[in-house]
Amino acid sequence: MTSWPPLLVLFVLTPLVGAVLTPAVSDASGRRSWEWALGTMLLTSAMAGALIMRVLDEGPFSYVVGGWVAPYGIELRFDEFSAFVAVVCLLGLLAVIFSRHYARDALAPGRIPYYYTLLLLNMTGMIGFIVTGDLFNLYVFMEILSLSAYALVAISGEKTAEMAAFKYLVMGAVSSLSILFGVGLLYALTGSLNMADVTGRLAGSAEAPLVLAFAALTLGFMVKSALFPLHIWLPDAHAIAPSPVSAVLSGLVVKVGILGMLRVYQIAYGSGAIDLSGLNLMLTWLGAISIVMGAFFAVFQDDIKMMLAYSTISNIGYIVMGLGLASPYSLIGASVHVFNHALIKATLFLGAGALIHQTGRRTLTGLAGVGRSMPLTTAAVSIGAISIVGIPPTAGFLCKWYIALGAMQAGEPLFAVALVFGALLIFVYYIRMVNAFYFRKPQEAGAPAVHEAPATMLVPVLILAALCLVMGVLGRLPLSFIEPAVTRLLAPLGGG
Amino acid sequence: MEVVDARVALAPAISLLCGALVFAAADNTFWRRFWSVSAALAKLGIVMSMLPGSLRGVVYTFDLVEFTPGVGLAFRADALGMFFSVVSSTLWLFTTVYAIGYMEREPNRRRFFGFFALCVSTTVGVAFAENLLTMFLFYETLTICTYPLVIHDETPEAMRAGRTYLVYTLTGGAFVLLGSIWTYQLAGTMTLSQPGILSMEAGRTTLTALFVCLIAGFGVKAAIMPLHGWLPTAMVAPTPVSALLHAVAVVKVGAFGVLRTIYNVFGVELLRELGVCDWLAALAAVTIVTASIIAIFQDNFKRRLAFSTISQLSYIVLGAALLSPLAATAAIVHIANQAFAKITMFFVAGSIQRTTGKTTIHELAGIGYRMPYTMGAFTVAALSFIGIPLFAGFVTKWYLSLGALESDRWIYALVMLGSALLNAAYWLPIVYTAFFKAPHEEVVVQEAHWTMLGPTLACAAYVLLLGMTVSVPGMPFALAQAAVTFVFGM
Repeated sequence: MTSWPPLLVLFVLTPLVGAVLTPAVSDASGRRSWEWALGTMLLTSAMAGALIMRVLDEGPFSYVVGGWVAPYGIELRFDEFSAFVAVVCLLGLLAVIFSRHYARDALAPGRIPYYYTLLLLNMTGMIGFIVTGDLFNLYVFMEILSLSAYALVAISGEKTAEMAAFKYLVMGAVSSLSILFGVGLLYALTGSLNMADVTGRLAGSAEAPLVLAFAALTLGFMVKSALFPLHIWLPDAHAIAPSPVSAVLSGLVVKVGILGMLRVYQIAYGSGAIDLSGLNLMLTWLGAISIVMGAFFAVFQDDIKMMLAYSTISNIGYIVMGLGLASPYSLIGASVHVFNHALIKATLFLGAGALIHQTGRRTLTGLAGVGRSMPLTTAAVSIGAISIVGIPPTAGFLCKWYIALGAMQAGEPLFAVALVFGALLIFVYYIRMVNAFYFRKPQEAGAPAVHEAPATMLVPVLILAALCLVMGVLGRLPLSFIEPAVTRLLAPLGGG
Repeated sequence: MEVVDARVALAPAISLLCGALVFAAADNTFWRRFWSVSAALAKLGIVMSMLPGSLRGVVYTFDLVEFTPGVGLAFRADALGMFFSVVSSTLWLFTTVYAIGYMEREPNRRRFFGFFALCVSTTVGVAFAENLLTMFLFYETLTICTYPLVIHDETPEAMRAGRTYLVYTLTGGAFVLLGSIWTYQLAGTMTLSQPGILSMEAGRTTLTALFVCLIAGFGVKAAIMPLHGWLPTAMVAPTPVSALLHAVAVVKVGAFGVLRTIYNVFGVELLRELGVCDWLAALAAVTIVTASIIAIFQDNFKRRLAFSTISQLSYIVLGAALLSPLAATAAIVHIANQAFAKITMFFVAGSIQRTTGKTTIHELAGIGYRMPYTMGAFTVAALSFIGIPLFAGFVTKWYLSLGALESDRWIYALVMLGSALLNAAYWLPIVYTAFFKAPHEEVVVQEAHWTMLGPTLACAAYVLLLGMTVSVPGMPFALAQAAVTFVFGM
């Protein structure tokens, strides 16, 4: 079963078909659409498991749709970086479960089926983006992903949400255009859209258009992943969206930019046609600045979701810095942080969502003392906070450790300094949050008694928090899993 | 001989558990006291149960979790770590009893005692840390656990002091982390079980930078000038906390970190070749003298104690930086000697404040008639700091001076002498004021409650015992010597 070739195609089609059919199967209460979405996500997750088993067994594999080989046909590829679909499916599944009560309370009943449709479309886009071996499909899936994300941000229908979605749309559209331009240039240069094929044909191309193509791709992907100074759309969009959507956006959607960059690197390093050291230097610096600026802005937030949104900017900074440093350690650290940050940030956003849903408050001042009435949720959020700061033995630690080691390895200890002091700032504002939960007295006396969220919200949060710990203690597994991919990526550079 | 034994991990874990139980006990006074004392007792019991083996030369180890080869959390109770943990766990019991008496009517006791118990856990964690990463983890946790204690009163002044404390210590912690990463990159390991893991191959500049990084990181808590700024301002905390910060946990963790850096990360041989320790010794000597001079001019009792602490801590740093076996012995035993004498003084200051409300030295005229036992204990501690034979401080000064002569740096023997005079100049006036100046009011003998007086007298007794017999039961000089033998490869 695991090596049955068309599984890869079905894997992309399942959430797509599920998405399209959701409104059709829905009933008035929205309950049926929830069940349908849940079933779709369960099926998709099972497929993801099978595919990852296969890549563990035999390394990267691909499937040529309809037997049309490159450069004419469409190819789907699955390598170690594609294992990110595991996190995508897991988070998608948990977000759907979480939404059962959340969506019912936060959205108009008529919108609930469409909410699940958009969520499943978003998953489709993500999965397609990750497994495609074709540049144009990459763009198409990215657009599916982005358009559904804009709509998800706006779904509550409130004025602020619409404004945030519009801002996100404007930035997103420009970046998509930039990526399309880059893809177009590569096609013009090589006459092919298949990534592996393009890699082979790039050698000997004229330098100027090549530089322009990579610059356009990088710019586009950096906007998607909200790297400083292209981050301005992110805080509003992530803070205002419904919490399960925030978890998906912050955990997964921004990573699309990073995974896109990894694909760009695979082409650039593989072809050897262009020297990326200048780009790397820029990314390293922008990454370092993102870490510090994100943390700096977060320190001054009182809104808990705003704080988490700025924290995402910092963490993207870590990942981009790891990519830019381009040493084996830093790349391994960065790639694994793509996975781990998704888990951690989902813990935080879903946890925050549960807190906001139960208390009706979203500021640290308003949430003061909530640890007494919602001990499990706050404990889970605290574990998330410890993880994201990078304190051992949680999931955030090893990735940051590897990125710092990578900085030393690349002979750039100054960036390790930026990393450590950025972590210090991040630590400060998460301490503020934990302090508010446990040690500040509730603001007003006689506030209505608050209790833990229903199981559909509590259980996903607890599962994610447990994963934050497990991925910390077993941190070696993802590292050794991703290592062959990084070695292959860096092999053309020699040494490595 | 190395033995795998879960007790090394259990010692920090059990106080962690008790700390959690204190929080769980909420506002029930009995259970809060019960778990606080249990935390201290359980830890002391575990540490003491390892002592006989440790004296025979057994090293207990326990690997908790390994993330990747060479990066993990692990515990190891070698001679130096045992020495530190014996000192801190003994003192913890006294401080806990004292704190129960002192905090009787304070608000927020749940938070106070909860974090108080967590601090025990982290201090032992530092003592037993097998590698730099484990040490860093507990070093930072200690910062976090002591912060709520520093800001306990929640006055604007306390909050300000708390912020200063956090800025200093967290920055220091960041340097420690940076140093740890760097060490791992250079040596491929972070273990503290060897007499030095780095080698000259890394290059002189790199090694010097790394040394500065680690020493600056640990030096913040060890209050080496000019990194001492947090310590006097943190004096706003309740007295048991000051005692804790100044004698047992925070500052000693810093000093312990300096010792680990010098002996176990770099190693004596490498540092002799590198020559950076001359600078550290000079800095320590400057700190000893300057802080003492500042102390003379302090009228606030606790501030004078604070500057004395800064001065005394640099004895440890100086002893380590001289890189001679005798001076190293002095550095290690001074962890105990300074701790017992300084905690006695803080207990005295707290008792006086609680009983009479007096906080400045000029108010203390005739206090010796009112609180004779308390001030008697103070006199013992003062004489120890001056370095009179028969008192604990003498042992330190003797070995440190010998070490200075052994390494041909007689100037530091002179520093010891000068420091003795300066100590006399700021401690004896207090004794004089207390016993020989006429009291302002009618004299009624009025000692503090036994929960406060008892620990004070017990610590003063230890000061005498440490000075007279060198090796008191449970305060093993032999461990210090074993540690020195190991790091100098004798």
